[in-house]
Amino acid sequence: MGAEWGKIIDFNWTLVINLLQFAVLLVLLRWLLWKPAVKYIDKRRELIASRMAAAKTSEEKAGELVVEREAALATAKKESVAILEEARERAEKSFEDAKRRAKEEADRILADARSQMEHERDRMLADLKAQYAEMVVLGTERVLSREVRVEDHRRLLDQLLAELDEVALDGVKEKR
Amino acid sequence: MLQEAQVAAGGVSGADLVQVAKFLAAGLCMGIGSLGPGIGIGNVVAHALDSTARQPEMRGPLFSTMIIGCAFVETTAIYALLVSIILLFVAK
Amino acid sequence: MREQLGRLLEHLGQKEVATWHIGGFAIQVDPKTIVLSTIASILVLVLALFLRRALRQPIEEKPNRTQGALDIAMDLLDSQLLGNFSSPGFGARMLPFIGTLFLYILASNWLSLLPGLEAPTADPNVTIGLALLVLVMSHYYLVRTKGVRGLGKEYFSPWWLSPIKILSELVARPLSHGFRLFGNVFAEFVLVTIFLAKLEPFVVPIGLRAIFGIGFGLIQAFVFTILTVAYINLAIEKH
Repeated sequence: MGAEWGKIIDFNWTLVINLLQFAVLLVLLRWLLWKPAVKYIDKRRELIASRMAAAKTSEEKAGELVVEREAALATAKKESVAILEEARERAEKSFEDAKRRAKEEADRILADARSQMEHERDRMLADLKAQYAEMVVLGTERVLSREVRVEDHRRLLDQLLAELDEVALDGVKEKR
Repeated sequence: MLQEAQVAAGGVSGADLVQVAKFLAAGLCMGIGSLGPGIGIGNVVAHALDSTARQPEMRGPLFSTMIIGCAFVETTAIYALLVSIILLFVAK
Repeated sequence: MREQLGRLLEHLGQKEVATWHIGGFAIQVDPKTIVLSTIASILVLVLALFLRRALRQPIEEKPNRTQGALDIAMDLLDSQLLGNFSSPGFGARMLPFIGTLFLYILASNWLSLLPGLEAPTADPNVTIGLALLVLVMSHYYLVRTKGVRGLGKEYFSPWWLSPIKILSELVARPLSHGFRLFGNVFAEFVLVTIFLAKLEPFVVPIGLRAIFGIGFGLIQAFVFTILTVAYINLAIEKH
């Protein structure tokens, strides 16, 4: 076996030997590296897929929770609005009640006062009438110097009284 | 004049002329032979960059395709290189 | 170092060829190339054994550093190389071949970074051999997916085009495929050798080799592998 200088692009059996060597390397690497590598990649992919699935479910759950919470918030808001409305209505109603009651009271007091006043006036008028009658009788006695028989002049007196009454009433009315 | 030239060329043999021709041919071969692939690869890369600028998400596939295209374009330059190598190192 | 450089420069474009005489046959081999490619293979095997340990470890919540790097590497391998196959299942099936090819060529290219060693891919025997292997494999898969009829259709579909097709697909394709890698690596080798021999006082050998070697080696390995993917994919693709 002697080595001499040949040209760089000479082809010889090195080609075949290198191919055999490459084949051996291929077989060895397929067993040593690529099989575990594929297994590893598959495992990792599975892991990532499971993680992704877990993340997705938790995200979905979170989304559901958010929806639920929003719904709860919405109902709570609605309720609070309703409560406020009710309270306002109640307050208004009680206010109206109080107003109405106060007005009734006032009206009642006013009516009482008016009726009492009328009663008083009637009583006064009756008194006045009686006094008129007496005074007329006394005046007439004195003018006639004798006793007037009530029975005789009753009609006249009544007439007079009625007239007086009218005048007095007119006077009272004007005064008011 | 002719005599002077003959004297000056006296040391130049035919083998020397062959050597000169080999070197010249190798240089010309490589120089002219790489003009076309140079322009071609310029085109390929320019268009690949254009496309990448337009669609940056396609960068990976575009890059491999660009390399394949460059390799195809380069083929003539490789042949020129082969011829140059043969001229320089193999041809007697 | 200097002597070695001088020898390399003197014999630039040449290689040592050993001849075995076995019986009547004279078997010629390049001992240096075989030694270098064996070293590259052993480096790949060591890397594989190292990665195997990381792969065997249980997957935990947080991957350790090797596992993280492995994830990124596998992702890149999947997206940049195997993703170019038209069917994903086929890409997974081709993973061992494509991955081994890439690692082998990468290790071979990066061997020139180590002082005193050269890239075995600077020998056309290696690269053309791999290119021929790819040619054979692409035709194997062509026959497997489309049958012998598919093969005939590929080459004789318009009969008058067949000489060009045979020339371009059976001759030019492996030639350009193999010589692309060889030419790039060899040209880099020539360049670096001349630089080192002529400018030795001014440049740091390792630095120069690293500048040329790392990127070039990676890109060339990637290009060879992706072209392999493209050729095999062309063979299995349904029209």
